[in-house]
Amino acid sequence: MKKKILALLLAGLMAFSAAACGGDTTSSTGGSGDTASTADGGDGAGDAGDAGDAGNAAIDTSEHVVVNYLTLGDIPTNQTDAAVVELNKMLTEKVNAEIAIRWIEWTDWATQYNLAMASQSGDLDLIVTATDWLDAWPNAQKGAFLPLTEEMLQTYAPKTWEQVDALGHWEDCKLDDTIYFIPEDTYTQWINHGVMYREDWATEAGLADGVHSFEDLAVYFQWVKDNQPDCVPWDVAGSVTSGEAGFSGGWWSSYTDDINIDGFGINIFRAESADDLTTISRYLLEGDEFVNFAKTMKEWSDAGYWREDVMNYKGDTREEFYSGLSGIDQHHTETYYTTVAPEMQKRTGVDVGFFFFGEETDNLVRTVTTHGAMAIGAQSQNPERALMIYDLMRFDQEVYDIMNYGFSDNFTVDENNILTWADDYDSATEGVTFNFWAGRNDEMQHKNSTFAWEPYEALVEVYDQVAIEYPFGKFIPDKTQMPWLENLSAVANTYMPQIAFGKTDDPEALVAEFRQALKDAGYEEAIAEAERQLAEIYG
Amino acid sequence: MKASRAAYDYRPSQHGFLYRLNQNKVLLLMCVPAILFFLFFSYVPMPGAYVAFTNFNYNGGIFGSPFVGLQNFEFLFTSGQLAQLLRNTVLYNLAFIILGNILQMFIAILLNEVMCKKFVKVTQSLMFLPYFISAVLVGLLVYNMINADYGFLTNLVKSMGGEMPKLYSDPNTFPIVIVIAKLWQSTGYGTVVYFAAICGIDASMMEAAKVDGANGFQRIRYITLPCLKGTVIILFLFAIGGIVKGDFGLFYNLVGTNSVLYSTTDIIETYVYRCMMNTFNFSQGSAVGLFQSVFGFALVMVANYVVKKLDPDYSLF
Repeated sequence: MKKKILALLLAGLMAFSAAACGGDTTSSTGGSGDTASTADGGDGAGDAGDAGDAGNAAIDTSEHVVVNYLTLGDIPTNQTDAAVVELNKMLTEKVNAEIAIRWIEWTDWATQYNLAMASQSGDLDLIVTATDWLDAWPNAQKGAFLPLTEEMLQTYAPKTWEQVDALGHWEDCKLDDTIYFIPEDTYTQWINHGVMYREDWATEAGLADGVHSFEDLAVYFQWVKDNQPDCVPWDVAGSVTSGEAGFSGGWWSSYTDDINIDGFGINIFRAESADDLTTISRYLLEGDEFVNFAKTMKEWSDAGYWREDVMNYKGDTREEFYSGLSGIDQHHTETYYTTVAPEMQKRTGVDVGFFFFGEETDNLVRTVTTHGAMAIGAQSQNPERALMIYDLMRFDQEVYDIMNYGFSDNFTVDENNILTWADDYDSATEGVTFNFWAGRNDEMQHKNSTFAWEPYEALVEVYDQVAIEYPFGKFIPDKTQMPWLENLSAVANTYMPQIAFGKTDDPEALVAEFRQALKDAGYEEAIAEAERQLAEIYG
Repeated sequence: MKASRAAYDYRPSQHGFLYRLNQNKVLLLMCVPAILFFLFFSYVPMPGAYVAFTNFNYNGGIFGSPFVGLQNFEFLFTSGQLAQLLRNTVLYNLAFIILGNILQMFIAILLNEVMCKKFVKVTQSLMFLPYFISAVLVGLLVYNMINADYGFLTNLVKSMGGEMPKLYSDPNTFPIVIVIAKLWQSTGYGTVVYFAAICGIDASMMEAAKVDGANGFQRIRYITLPCLKGTVIILFLFAIGGIVKGDFGLFYNLVGTNSVLYSTTDIIETYVYRCMMNTFNFSQGSAVGLFQSVFGFALVMVANYVVKKLDPDYSLF
């Protein structure tokens, strides 16, 4: 018997070892002095030292360095690799350095990004970040970013320093009076979300002016349901992040004046209105708007506006929208006029409209200056060269063009700054994708002729009349004082999808249950603490 | 051969430690990979569990971050969910352990009775395959089988005039889906262990039984099954240590963010994921892992103690 047990123990150990893999894998990230990032390139190192422009003539760039640039996006299959080679020639010539790109792919990006921040070993120099959709503040607080002194910025990224300083935007990047990243503050973009719908279908549905409210949207959905048998009105993959699901955020904007406050990690904190920045809205806890939302979504679910098993569906809504299999796509204005509308306009008779959340109540907030930002890795071996490269990325037209538009023989720019692609240009194979969302600059931009400028400009005309600046740019929540957030996150992520996709027999009862669960998880206390922190700044 | 015989000599040794080390060097050498594995992947990282008691920051690292005591454990205990989570996690694991072992044993015995060696090998290989399929794919497969809109099974049932239950909307039946998926994945793997144990049963006992006129069923009932008792107990003891740990990959990919199902499918791992995916707090994640490990360790010790009392032959140590 003992013999068998011993044999089994061995077999068991083998099996067990597989299970052991799931264990603790955290490791110390303490300064390892990794020098992997200072690979020597050699070529042209001798003469490139003095080749920089006059501004940094005094800076020693005699050693060729590789600067690691982390951005988000799927690894491109177009001409990006070739463009990197070309870009590196330029960078070598100008500052004797080159970049190597590290991609965080869209699968599980939020987790992977933060993991990359946590496990740095000098292998990250330039890091794309953001205060609203990437956790710039928590990462700054935890020490992922190198503090940037004014002197450093003035010396190594003088043009950037000057431009941001002139607008007073360094204030938006400070934690405890220290600058942690460079804002993408001189690039106009509208990242307010909304619904992209087929204008041709809306017209047939009797909405001659298009969709401009959730009521219109219901009419549109019903028309799609009745008249497009192969098309799901909204074929959405109903997964949930940040406590939002389906139209929950959009409805909140469209039926109240509440303004979302970034930085809590979970979007259940909105201020009462632009005039009252220190009161947190009780929309989720009280009142009828949220109940109406639950009831309406229940109706929409019963009417079949999305799949029965929407919450487990994992399809690509945008591709389906292109092929007429989904009635709408939900994303922001930038996506609408740069990507979706141009793609749909290739199809004859198809036009795409945009209904922005908050349209009914004129509740619209401009993009925060740090929706894109560039940080330097805390353990970067070459922060100086990284900053010099950044300055080029933001201000050198040659560098800017190859990163944002690709090879110069693929396009021409006329005297009105309108960029036209060559006839045989195929963006899928010949385009480049740097996903440089951390230093685009209106001064350097060309007007891409393929974008849907006409509807965009009409939209922006409306936006400009109603939009307010994001009022909470200087507010960084101190989450260590809010121990309720984790459980609130779980509660919101549990109830919100059910409510937003109408997966209940009794929406009112479910809302009541949700409200109780929020209270049990400490929502009231969290609101009080958030209000206290807001009052310190805006009180 | 000589060395291995010495290894099974459990009489109190008259010789010193070094002598025995020398006597068993071949066996010890064979253990080295396993010892190294556990040393580097389990014991060396163990001090890192300290991160559960800190407010982790990247510059300080694990041991340089401020100590915060049990603060990181608080959220799990104040959530009001712990009882349900523990219930779900433990019940699923019990279902996996009990049903899994019965099924594995059953199939191993069946395979043992099959005479055609080729058939046995092919069957084993085919059954082993699902073990290597990632949970992501399992999730997709299951979705495409049973979703209420166009699932394969749904359509099949419909075409035969029946009505398929809406599994993704029904927390009461979805656990069955999870258990089936898990069994499908793990049975082949477990069968190998039992099959090996059956092969190790002394053939002379079987022959003697045959001579005495025992038929196939009787041989299984009176020889095979009793001989497997030790295996079952040891596998159970191993499994029980992980009884409060869930298979996150499987659960997350089958259930995803479908909160309708949470009441019966939420396990500790998925709950923690939902808490953390918006705040990304390592320390709290580690705190939960530590809690599960300590709980599992205590369970193994108790279970082993009980087994030892009942029959010292079967206890782990």
